[in-house]
Amino acid sequence: MAPTIHYYCPCQSGESVQTPPPPHMASSSASFHPLHSLFFCEECDAVRCNRCVSIEVSGYYCPNCLFEVPSASVRAEKNSNRCARNCFSCPICRSTLQVVASDPPDGGDGRPSVSLSNVGEPPFFLYCNHCRWDSAEVGITFEKPTGLAAQLQKFEDSAPESLEFERLKEHFEPFLRTSSLSSLSHVPSTSSHHLPTSSATAAASAALARDVPGVGKYNPPARSRVGRDRTANKDEMPEYKSRMEISVLGQLGSEGDGSDVEALRRMETAEEIASLEQRWGNSWTTSSRTSDLRPLRIPLHSKVSKRCPTCRHILIKPEQKAQSVRYKIKLVAANYLPAMTVALPHTQGADTTRRPQAKAPSTSDDRNVGAIMAGKSYPFHLALTNPLYDPIQVRLSVQRMHVTAVTDGTAPEKARRTPFAVSLPTSSFPVAAFAEAWEYDDDDDMFGLEDDELGLEMGRTRDKDGKGKGKTVGVLEKRANVTVVGGEVVIGKEARGHVKFNMLVSYTYRSDDPLPSEDGAGTPSRTVAKTPEVKTFTFYTVVDLGPILPREEKVDPDI
Amino acid sequence: MDAPVYYSKAEFIETDTGNKVSRRATIAGPQNIILGGKTIISSGAIIRGDLRRTGPGHAVVISLGRYCLVGEGCVMRPPYKTYRGNFNYYPMKIGDYVHIGANTVVEAATIGNHVVIGKNCVIGKFTIIKDCAQVADNTVIPPNTVIPALALFAGSPGRFVEDLPESTQEMVESQTKQYYSRFQPLER
Repeated sequence: MAPTIHYYCPCQSGESVQTPPPPHMASSSASFHPLHSLFFCEECDAVRCNRCVSIEVSGYYCPNCLFEVPSASVRAEKNSNRCARNCFSCPICRSTLQVVASDPPDGGDGRPSVSLSNVGEPPFFLYCNHCRWDSAEVGITFEKPTGLAAQLQKFEDSAPESLEFERLKEHFEPFLRTSSLSSLSHVPSTSSHHLPTSSATAAASAALARDVPGVGKYNPPARSRVGRDRTANKDEMPEYKSRMEISVLGQLGSEGDGSDVEALRRMETAEEIASLEQRWGNSWTTSSRTSDLRPLRIPLHSKVSKRCPTCRHILIKPEQKAQSVRYKIKLVAANYLPAMTVALPHTQGADTTRRPQAKAPSTSDDRNVGAIMAGKSYPFHLALTNPLYDPIQVRLSVQRMHVTAVTDGTAPEKARRTPFAVSLPTSSFPVAAFAEAWEYDDDDDMFGLEDDELGLEMGRTRDKDGKGKGKTVGVLEKRANVTVVGGEVVIGKEARGHVKFNMLVSYTYRSDDPLPSEDGAGTPSRTVAKTPEVKTFTFYTVVDLGPILPREEKVDPDI
Repeated sequence: MDAPVYYSKAEFIETDTGNKVSRRATIAGPQNIILGGKTIISSGAIIRGDLRRTGPGHAVVISLGRYCLVGEGCVMRPPYKTYRGNFNYYPMKIGDYVHIGANTVVEAATIGNHVVIGKNCVIGKFTIIKDCAQVADNTVIPPNTVIPALALFAGSPGRFVEDLPESTQEMVESQTKQYYSRFQPLER
């Protein structure tokens, strides 16, 4: 397992706690994220992760035909969170279905006849390329190869569940509308969602906003009085009569009326019963036989824009086109925080020498060579890449942690000893600024930078592993905007588990003030603003160097 | 990550645009194949540039972009279809910064930029893979699938798993460029 570094986002801990949880606990992995999935808010000067950002939908598209559906039509129509064109997914294997024409009529003389029409012969049906299911098995065929969803719409609308839903909506709508008008004053002003377009959703969000702060409003047995709770200051609501009796509905599904038991008796293979994954997307109970599964319209995907939860600054704003990967606003943490990678040099030494030769004989050899063994000390390399256009000074420090949990077998007093000790360079070291790629062209010999530290070393000189190294802890190499520092970890004899430690990284950088005043008659405040200010940013990371192999289990490499 | 990936100098042909093609790769119909520059074709790869669409003139069967990597043992064949009685091959267009893993069979119609495909995958015919998508290892993508941008597909049949982070494009671009610079001949 390669060593990794993850960054800490404080959204999971409370408001006052800023230190990360101890890394050996399983639950702490929720607070640590790889750098490329994090965002950075410039106003708050804080790291944000995908869990804490607030999300708004900026557009919908079908993942199969890539057609962009306007948000208005998605919210307005009933079934419109699915593609309205020809995109269906196979009920058996969930891959996309292809519209195929039936075979042309046989000419009778054995030769394959050439179809005259452009799109083939009707009737058309859906065919799955992966599992060879086709919709003729459930009796769904089409007259035209386009507009399939519209052709199926008639059948869908007459299904008993959608008629029941319409009836429920008509029953609740007048009451929800009047209750939403009376409770609009309760809606919090910092709502992050767009104003709902229909009265039903307005009422739902108003009810939710009212219910969430107060905990004691849940009344489980009062199913028929749900409307009454929400319209507390309104008149009574008449009781709802459903369109058909429950026993009638039982014949549609498998509600214990004996017909499904008969089917089970006649069953030959286990695949005749639809699996849970194929069935749980349906809102009502349907037949549990695989042969009754119908093709599903493909649900739409959405493009989201993300905002900082505290200051509402937009962090991610995608472009209008659904399939474009560019963003109008993109405040990712990788543009602000130094990217760090960690490597164990003894692992890399084993890999590179094997490549041009024949394949390595055994994998257990690799495991012993590359892994971390208890009772030894290993150096590791930490490479920091500076994304800013200014040089930074970085200081690292290991967070001290209490280790109380150790695996089985060891006595409690042994468990309290720290399993490993990490030493890092304690002084701050600089990392050069980032410059455009053309300055570091491979073919070019000159670097053309004013920084004299880089002038000392040309190209990729680094300490060869064979030479005697003077130090293992400290700055090892500076190249372009990457600085490699070395640290050392000493593993105790009784150590188990993973070598994971929290590391505090703080870096300072100059943020130059723009626009120094050219006018000689500047105000005093302007002359003060000319001096660049030095800003410091601090964040936590967790470094995972890999599992520790206990010493007794050393595998004989000859076997 | 900084470790160089060595190859035997005699094994690879390097062109003036920086493409590195292994001599042990099977390239059929090289006049119909376009490599964008700084592209690596590993040993054992099979690229069928000879399966071209019938018709006069010069046809481009397979075109790859810059900084691409075709893994070892990969098979790249253009997709074919019988339409109104005519059998035809369709050209295969691959974008820049695309890494294709080892032993993968690719019959897609279009692959966008910054795509990473894992090893032992099977990409069915006429698949369209948009920019910055990724296909995990050991995935089987059925024919005629569309993989939208920034999507991660896995499983057999390949299904949508999750959306990738927004900085995927820069990550893949820097990884592919770094891989090319680490791919160095071993002086013997």
